[in-house]
Amino acid sequence: MIDDPIASLLSLITAQDRAAFKTLYNASSAKLMGVLLRMLGNRSEAEDALQEVFTRVWLRAGRFDASKGRGMTWLIAIARNLAIDRIRSRHDTVDDEDAIAAVVDTAPRAESKLIAQGEARRITDCFATLEPDRAEALRGAYLTGLSYIDLAARHAVPLNTMRTWLRRSLTKLKECMEL
Amino acid sequence: MSDAPLTPHQEDQALAGEYVVGLLALPDRIAAEARIKADPAFADLVANWETRLEDLNDDYDEVQPPNLLPAIEARLFPQAAAVRKSWFTGLMGLGLGTVAALGLAAFLLLSPPSPTMTATLTADASPLRYEAAIAGTELTITRVAGDAANANQVHQLWLIAGDNAPVSLGLITGNTLTIAAPAAAAGFVLAISLEPAGGSTTGAPTGPVLVVGKLAKI
Repeated sequence: MIDDPIASLLSLITAQDRAAFKTLYNASSAKLMGVLLRMLGNRSEAEDALQEVFTRVWLRAGRFDASKGRGMTWLIAIARNLAIDRIRSRHDTVDDEDAIAAVVDTAPRAESKLIAQGEARRITDCFATLEPDRAEALRGAYLTGLSYIDLAARHAVPLNTMRTWLRRSLTKLKECMEL
Repeated sequence: MSDAPLTPHQEDQALAGEYVVGLLALPDRIAAEARIKADPAFADLVANWETRLEDLNDDYDEVQPPNLLPAIEARLFPQAAAVRKSWFTGLMGLGLGTVAALGLAAFLLLSPPSPTMTATLTADASPLRYEAAIAGTELTITRVAGDAANANQVHQLWLIAGDNAPVSLGLITGNTLTIAAPAAAAGFVLAISLEPAGGSTTGAPTGPVLVVGKLAKI
């Protein structure tokens, strides 16, 4: 892998290198805290989750495969998955107003920032091929952990309709990105 | 847009995408996670989606947390530091596991029948917890919180009598392990270490000690 310092640290951590673990913490904890705080919406819960994330990173570093993705992407996936599990465990209900407000908050920013960076234009282009409300629902779900149940309530459509929409949107997105 | 039914491959692709985006309700999510572990092709679809969507991660701002590293290290490399020291000093003269196993055999012969005892194995700030119970001729230990070891590793159970070297009682590959009860007295320590799949090859714990607990009479 070219220039992926996080991946290099993960391979050292697989060999139980505690100094590498400390370096990884310093290099990635602020980003992962940002992920957890955005998704969990509560600082003390995010801090608790961050400890759990790094515990998992230490124990699972051997599973990271640099041929399949970047180190930071893998770390963020661990943080997102933990946050999603916690959100799903605490409620699978529709009345999570904070999360819904957070979604409203996210929409324009992701896109403008991605365009500004240029490098991410493909995902932006591909999101633009989707119907706007569906692209918006996907993005909100990714960034804040909303489930089909939450999205169906927010868009006032039946659960199965929302699921059909987003499954088709994912299929389109994949075809567009050709990955 | 065309609304033709998805092909089975497209179904898998969509499911992997739904999992990564985080759309699934908890039972579907748990099922997808089981499939990731069991089905490498599906796991690859998930990894591809993580890469495909990774640019969305730019939208997460960095937020400086307090320094949680000491708490994380205490969780991973626990208090057992003190316990481990006595294990190692005990082990210096002993060497290999066969010696330890002989020690256990002698110990079994010399010890009186054991009363019914339990132990809770924990570590500060760790989510992992095991409950152990000796009932009649059996010892059963069950993971009641936290994660199992990953695919290349295993949780190994040890019994430590006072200052003696730890003796392996077995590998916990599922959620629970039942073995013939060792002769043990209240105050003896049960410990779980993280070892390579197949267990420690030295006869002594080689990985971090994850949780420890003392046996107590009920």
